Amino acid sequence: MTEIVINDRTIDAQPGQTVLEAALANGIFVPTFCWHPKLSVAGNCRMCLVEVEGRGLDIACNMPVTKGMRVLTDSPEVKAHRKAMLQFITLNHPVDCGICDKAGECRLQDYHYAYNGEPSLSVEPKVRSTKYYNLSSRILLDNERCILCLRCTRFTHEVSKSMALGIEHRGDTSVIRPVADRPLGEDPYSDNIIDLCPVGALQSRQFLHKTRVWYLKPTPSVCPGCARGCTIQVWHRKAEWRVKALDPAQNNAIARVTPLENPAVNGPWICNKGRDLARLLERQRATEPMLRGAPTSLEGALERARELIGAARHPVALVSSWGSNEELEAFRRHLGAVFTSFVKCDAVAEPGERIEDQLLIRADKNPNTAAAEALFGRAEAQLPEGTDLVLVWGEGFDFARLPRGARVLFLNAYLQPENGHADVFLPITIHTERAGHFTNFQGVVSAFQPCFEPPRGAAHAEALFAALAAPARVHA
Amino acid sequence: MRSLIPEFEALRARFPAGFASSLVLPCLRRIQEERGYVADEDVEELAAFLGVPAIQIEEVLTFYTQFRRRPVGRWHLQLCRNVSCSMRGGERLIEHLERRLGVRPGETTADGRFTLSTVECLGSCGTAPAMMVNERYVESLSAEAVDALLEELR
Repeated sequence: MTEIVINDRTIDAQPGQTVLEAALANGIFVPTFCWHPKLSVAGNCRMCLVEVEGRGLDIACNMPVTKGMRVLTDSPEVKAHRKAMLQFITLNHPVDCGICDKAGECRLQDYHYAYNGEPSLSVEPKVRSTKYYNLSSRILLDNERCILCLRCTRFTHEVSKSMALGIEHRGDTSVIRPVADRPLGEDPYSDNIIDLCPVGALQSRQFLHKTRVWYLKPTPSVCPGCARGCTIQVWHRKAEWRVKALDPAQNNAIARVTPLENPAVNGPWICNKGRDLARLLERQRATEPMLRGAPTSLEGALERARELIGAARHPVALVSSWGSNEELEAFRRHLGAVFTSFVKCDAVAEPGERIEDQLLIRADKNPNTAAAEALFGRAEAQLPEGTDLVLVWGEGFDFARLPRGARVLFLNAYLQPENGHADVFLPITIHTERAGHFTNFQGVVSAFQPCFEPPRGAAHAEALFAALAAPARVHA
Repeated sequence: MRSLIPEFEALRARFPAGFASSLVLPCLRRIQEERGYVADEDVEELAAFLGVPAIQIEEVLTFYTQFRRRPVGRWHLQLCRNVSCSMRGGERLIEHLERRLGVRPGETTADGRFTLSTVECLGSCGTAPAMMVNERYVESLSAEAVDALLEELR
């Protein structure tokens, strides 16, 4: 332990820590642009200036703690220099917050109001640079807004290792640029630089001018894209900002997905597939229970399903690896004794998708295989001749594999041609419409919260399993 | 660049292991000396040879304005446009050369003999205005001296 004093508070710092880390670990706030806990120290923004008594001003992010040092983070001198630094940082910044997607969650905006608050002192015209530079099919770069903190270049060199970005030219003509041989578009983690950007320079094409961030609410969730189960925030319109004039689909749509920092699973990053959850989850939904393609009531469908289960002598169930821990447990409790159950692989990698890497992406593209296999075993699904009923829960089953003469009970969330061929089809909810937990491949359990109301007609699988085992009222 | 590889190997032996990025600058200088400019294929080949990301070579190339990405004429005239030279008539000399050669700074004459460039301080303020002709310094210039030089080089 190294004892240091910050603002008259004695703090036990770890040897080797920097003053900034020691301050943040003890709840003392120091503003930063370029510093990030998971990236190397660049020390170029000078926002974290602190005063060390007897040594003057220096940046806290690159200052190791030494025994007995006395640090001031808010002395009049620090405040004066911080204000001056903000004058430098905004020297060529267009201050176009009114049309910038970052407004509302922008560090530069926040620090400007907190520490500067004055218009530019410069009478020189601002340096003009590229707007809407095409970094990749996912990211646009506004070089005028860029403050050259180099978080994005360090991310591509140190974390995603794509080495896609660098800084070209020098002085006030410096610009972030990609290089032709390592395109940023091939980096499956590229969108993290949008979150990393402390200003509005890096913009998501998906999210560009879509909405203001203060209309949105982040709901903690878990990415179902692979067995890593990264914790994420699903951003959707706040209930009080659901406007009638908008297309109603917009009020219930995923506006964007960002990582939710979780040291046990994904740290502060997620991959681009996690950002594209809307494409994965917002497909056309199935909302009508059907008997061989004929719409029926939920009660009627359940009644027929119970008949089929009662009459079956060799029923097999293919359990979804997208089901939550709660749903899997409900299936085991209510139907586990009736069916011979196998875990089904619901999703496989799409063409062109990165299969697996050292950082986050796992080859198993299902979120809850670990919990499903713990309950129902790892055996390959067997559909022997004589199987007379197959319960398919979720996507990914090849219906051509059905044994001859077997009846089919199908629970699915999306519109699919197979829905109409099932003897009984029941529409179910997806994980953004309910609370629950996924267990990732390491055994870490993460919780997700509901973001949206389920569509009318879709029922929670958990309730359906209970109703399939015994007659009960299910609300859909 | 391939003909320079033995030379680069010798250079690499003089650096500690893991310092490949320190070799970027000396290698680029030699490439430009040999070819007259740095071509895109040189960047690719050097990146492959040193094992550094190509963006790192682009960063160095764009940072130093002395590196050229396009061929220049037989004679590369680099006129200083910094304070001392401007005060001693350097700006007028630039205009004079533009008229004489019929090109703007950054351009090459149609016959490929002259490329006109303006540069920042050449470190020759005591003998301003100054100009570099290829690697040679020409100092204490006047319009007459420039005309005589052009005749000599033509």
